[in-house]
Amino acid sequence: MDGLRVNKKTETNIKLPLSFIFFGLVAFVVAQFIFLMNSGALTSGAFRIPEVLMGAHFLLLGWVVMVIMGAMYQLVPVAFLTPIWSEKLGFIQFVITAVGIIVFSVLLGWKINLTVYGAIILIIGILLFLFQMIMTLKKQEEKTILTSFVMAALLCFLITISAGLVLAASIAFGTSFNYSAILHSHILLGVAGWFTLLIFGFSYKLVPMFSLSHGFSMKGSGVAFVSYILGLAVLLVSFWTDFGALASVGWGLLWVGFTCFCLDIREILNKRLKKGLDRPFVFSLLAIGYGWLIHTAIVILRMFGVQDEHVWSWLIFLYIVCWVMFSILGYLYKIVPFLWWTFKYSNQVGKANVPLLKDMINEKLGVILFGVFTVGTLGLAIFGIPQLSFAVTFFLVVMLIASIGYFVSIVLVVKK
Amino acid sequence: MGLVEKVTEVLYEVIDPELGINIVDLGLIYKVDVKENNDVIVTMTLTTPGCPLHDSIVGGVESAIYFLDEVGKVDVQLVWKPAWTPEKMSDKAKTVLMG
Repeated sequence: MDGLRVNKKTETNIKLPLSFIFFGLVAFVVAQFIFLMNSGALTSGAFRIPEVLMGAHFLLLGWVVMVIMGAMYQLVPVAFLTPIWSEKLGFIQFVITAVGIIVFSVLLGWKINLTVYGAIILIIGILLFLFQMIMTLKKQEEKTILTSFVMAALLCFLITISAGLVLAASIAFGTSFNYSAILHSHILLGVAGWFTLLIFGFSYKLVPMFSLSHGFSMKGSGVAFVSYILGLAVLLVSFWTDFGALASVGWGLLWVGFTCFCLDIREILNKRLKKGLDRPFVFSLLAIGYGWLIHTAIVILRMFGVQDEHVWSWLIFLYIVCWVMFSILGYLYKIVPFLWWTFKYSNQVGKANVPLLKDMINEKLGVILFGVFTVGTLGLAIFGIPQLSFAVTFFLVVMLIASIGYFVSIVLVVKK
Repeated sequence: MGLVEKVTEVLYEVIDPELGINIVDLGLIYKVDVKENNDVIVTMTLTTPGCPLHDSIVGGVESAIYFLDEVGKVDVQLVWKPAWTPEKMSDKAKTVLMG
């Protein structure tokens, strides 16, 4: 047996990912509360008022970005077989980013002309994160398609925050430039670039792992990567040239990329050995289906020339919630129990009876919560488009209750 | 019972916490060698490179073997070649996973 020995320590100090994840959970609840307080504005489609922007940034930066950062601190070392470059830098980066997100989001809601100062703190935190990840990935011995997805996602993130800083500066100092193009680039690269490419990349690792799949090809991954990147690039050009036909091509390319990714995931699942999949993981898989449906809906709307900003705003909402947020909600039900299990029981393996990972979290409660999130989100979209205020408020309450329930269910893990 | 058999037996106590199956039935143990001075060398793999349970399972193998009083040093060699395949699983493990 001449196999290469690979005994390497890949565990990260769990305080680092958990710090990000718990900050994210609090921000998640705060965002839902802000949305509920502004249900009238949401119903009327006023998505760009300061209070809604504050809620959106608590959701996207405070919840999604922080949870992704935390998850990456745990997943990158194990998926890329390389330790985090500097855990100390990780903790410093956590504090700066957390302060930056709070200051930036609160200023967005209350003193929008001062947001640039919050943005500067936030960007320092994010740049430190990007530096940390690049230094970590540089040490990876064998680069894979997963590396390409993650590197491209990090690049999109860098451009997103740069565009965000320009937007904040324009509000503070009133500089004149193509505001609309920068705003659209900021949203596209933040949502479709950074989030989607990252979920693609890690799904190629996590889906086979959680389903114990074997003998799959991932033959669509290259096309998925190139097509999605091309789609993003074409859409960026369309924003800056205001050339509508290019936008249709761009969305079409994103659809092709997403479809190739879906076909790969389908093959992985078809070749799985574990027939009974964990429910939270199934929820993340459903998010992939929702993501494909949303991409398809966007292509169809482009084909029929639907330009209604209200409809597009709700589509972006569905993209963020059903695809990005639901993926994270499901995966977090796997990641947090793993982190806590590692901390509490890892050194007892082989010595005593230790619980299984699925014993660490209440899966039944998770199924209920995932159901409530789905109903809440669909209710918001169905009643939000025709602007039925009472129903929108009701479903915002549902989302707030679900987010508190989710927060509690994760906290209960660390009580075990 | 020889030391190789004893070591293999205690490895049945090391459970993959994600799958709930012991690592011997999963086919993760490739070889158990015992030197003249009772040092033990275990050559093993995981179902996939980049398994998050990497350190826990390797540590678990060491702990389980050190339970045996007569064992000297334990060296766990984790290898990716040959790669794990489902055929390496026991029938029992296949039944648990695939029904």
